[in-house]
Amino acid sequence: MAPLVELVGVGKGYGSATAVHPLSLRIGEGEFVSILGPSGCGKTTLLRMIGGFVTPDEGSILIDGRDVTRKPPEKRATNMVFQGYGLFPHMTVAQNVAYGLRIARVARTERARRVAEALDLIRLADLGDRAVSALSGGQRQRVALARALVMRPRVLLLDEPLSALDLKLRLAMQEEFRRIHAQVGGTFIFVTHDQAEAMSLASRICVMEAGRIVQDGTPEDIYRRPASRFVAGFIGEANLFEGVGSDERVRLSCGTVIPGAGAEGPIVCVVRPEAVTLAADPAALPDQCDARLFATVEDVVFLGPEVRTTLRTDSGAQALALSRTAGPLRPGDRVTMGWATADQQVIAA
Amino acid sequence: MRQALRTASFQLLPGLAILAGLFLLPLSYFFVVSFWQVRTFRLRPDATLEQYARVFTEYGSTLAWTLAIATLIATVTAAIAFAYAHYCRFRAGRFGDGLIFLSLVTLFGGYLAKIYMWKTILGGTGALNSALMALGLTSGPIPALLFSPFAVIVTLTHYCLPLAILPVYGALRGLDDTAIEAARDLGASGPRIFRDLILAQARGGLTAAFALTLVITAADYVTPLMVGGPSSNMIGLFIQSQFGNRLNSPLGSAMAFVTIACCGLIVLTLSLTLRALTRPRT
Amino acid sequence: MRSMAHIGAALTAIFMLSPLVILVIFCFSESPLLAFPIEGWSLRWFDKAFSDPQFTNAFRNSMIVTGAVGVTSTLTGTLAALALAKLPPRLATATAAALSLPVMVPPLLLGVALLTFYSTWIGLPLGLPAVILSHLVFTQPLVMLMISARMASFDHAAVEAARDLGASPIQSFFHVTLPMIGPSITGGTLIAMALSLDDFLVTFFTIGGGMTLPTLMWGMLRKGIDPSVNVVAVTIMGLSIAATLIGFRLTRYRG
Repeated sequence: MAPLVELVGVGKGYGSATAVHPLSLRIGEGEFVSILGPSGCGKTTLLRMIGGFVTPDEGSILIDGRDVTRKPPEKRATNMVFQGYGLFPHMTVAQNVAYGLRIARVARTERARRVAEALDLIRLADLGDRAVSALSGGQRQRVALARALVMRPRVLLLDEPLSALDLKLRLAMQEEFRRIHAQVGGTFIFVTHDQAEAMSLASRICVMEAGRIVQDGTPEDIYRRPASRFVAGFIGEANLFEGVGSDERVRLSCGTVIPGAGAEGPIVCVVRPEAVTLAADPAALPDQCDARLFATVEDVVFLGPEVRTTLRTDSGAQALALSRTAGPLRPGDRVTMGWATADQQVIAA
Repeated sequence: MRQALRTASFQLLPGLAILAGLFLLPLSYFFVVSFWQVRTFRLRPDATLEQYARVFTEYGSTLAWTLAIATLIATVTAAIAFAYAHYCRFRAGRFGDGLIFLSLVTLFGGYLAKIYMWKTILGGTGALNSALMALGLTSGPIPALLFSPFAVIVTLTHYCLPLAILPVYGALRGLDDTAIEAARDLGASGPRIFRDLILAQARGGLTAAFALTLVITAADYVTPLMVGGPSSNMIGLFIQSQFGNRLNSPLGSAMAFVTIACCGLIVLTLSLTLRALTRPRT
Repeated sequence: MRSMAHIGAALTAIFMLSPLVILVIFCFSESPLLAFPIEGWSLRWFDKAFSDPQFTNAFRNSMIVTGAVGVTSTLTGTLAALALAKLPPRLATATAAALSLPVMVPPLLLGVALLTFYSTWIGLPLGLPAVILSHLVFTQPLVMLMISARMASFDHAAVEAARDLGASPIQSFFHVTLPMIGPSITGGTLIAMALSLDDFLVTFFTIGGGMTLPTLMWGMLRKGIDPSVNVVAVTIMGLSIAATLIGFRLTRYRG
């Protein structure tokens, strides 16, 4: 099946700075894709190129098999939810939502029906006559969403739509997005710098760094099998142990040799903190922990559902372990960190 | 991006045309004229500094007097404007907006009317003398109120004050209350806060207020003509008369440019002094 | 200390306002002498001024100049402000500074420079068209600055959203940009008109033989005491203050 959105060698620079290196990307019908990266990585430029607000320097963009590279935004089957919402301050909520339909000359009765439907979907059915200035941040956010959704776009583009909201509202809106995506279907492309948001919303994440897509996969894939040191560090917390790999074994910089297939030469061994088990006596570690490392406890913090132990390995690297119960560990204690090599990821450094 | 720049340059075209054709070009031409001469009532192109020499020899004392009185007026006006704006921003509470509104009311409307009103207020039978006599403070009218440098100072200060308040108030509004609280929290006393924060913040607005008043005052001729006496001849009168009955535009041009240049120097000096005074130190 | 500040501010306010108040009072005074106490009230000076053909003529000329200056400087100033919003910040600042240069030049210098330019170089006859052109120089930057101030807080995403929803560039300008900056444009226009209406110096040098309200007033002042000059002054003042206040109100300008 042909992809709904296809980017072929699309690149963009501003003056001497490159915002997006030529990249290709295929997004299928019904996907909820998140483009994730730190600020300045080119993710918003990428989204704005799909929306038609930025013309690429090279490459082409296809939507539904048709080349739209040079088409202005009003001629594209995409609609965007803007970071600052971009609501029309001189129109009411309903007028905002109806605007695109009026431009498209949708008949009045049909228009009223679709606006009501859209307001219903975002649960603001009673506020159609309100001025947008009288809305709260979360409500404005939802009006911006309704204004785009009422157009029934083939692709809905969302540019950091939740960044202006506080944490509680952000979590509630994430739930709303999931519900609305399930209800209306369609393809959503969602730009964010918040990895937790990307993980909780998207079925597919493209991680961007310095204008390149450095990894593209399911949230679980990206968490468990980060393709680079950057991805490992950006998505969740990770222990990064440097070393040298050869013959299915890894010699970490502290001298310890652990089993581990992967690259030859300098490597980074990525171990998620929840995969680490700590024990004062190495013999007490469970059998599946076939990789072991000596370390000194630096701090133990009780967080409720979990206990966070920061450690320093004998080679001086900082390490972190998350466990469900607090052991009798205190700062200064000598411990053995153990994990299953099945849970580690060895990446060429 | 390139598209946007192209649209922008088209949109700028009419504005820039007005600037170039009706301001830069006339002013440059007028400057060139200051090196010309008038012979047998006709303007002759030349490259002489004769007009400039005349400005300093024949009108030197008038120029100095004009600059002195203009500097005095600009200083007084900027000081009152600062005090008023400061009061509106920090002291007046909810009346602050109303007091600023009041200065807006008097901003435009009646350049001539204001000068003329001061003439009647300060006149022998005018409001001020009548009031002073009614209160029994003076037995007869004080003639020195009108046709004196005092009248010029009062009138021009009144005219320029609203224009001077606005930039100062605008600058003070940019200073938020938390910055002042932070300074207090860090141990700054009242006078320190005044110098390090308020004066530093108001510097731009204060300089603008001073410069505006100085330039308007130094080049005004209606006020000295209407309310100034024979002792308050200002350079504006002589500039104006070169285009009236004396028909010597080269000399008028030279006078105008010398006056502007002197104003520029005065503003520069003030601006550097204020900067040195309020410069943040580490 | 506190009460000193209150008294100082009150005195300043009285100082600023009293000449205007006294002028209005004199307009309604029966006596031709401008002195207190006022002995009787009448509207005769209004009758006298308004029935004077010179006044009607000057009023008409003032309206022509103000109207033409208002429309033209609004067009060029608004276009310039829209362009500034598109330029890179440093270029925009430099361009705005260049366009505002005329505001920093004293009107006397502007007047005599334009007089010399018109009459000895390009041969433009003095008169109302010359006055209108001259007023554009100092009113255009005001309109531009007031609209630029609005554009600084303008939500560009709203225009992009309109494009995204299918509006063409022209549609998005008329549906979104214009309604959003409209009040500022009207405000800028009114303030430009107030400035043009009140201008005496530049008009005086470029009008030749004709008259606007300020030059009429000047003529009356030079001739001697005619109390209907108060009415002319009040007309100029009333019109320009009204325009300024509505203008500032619309632009929500505060300092």
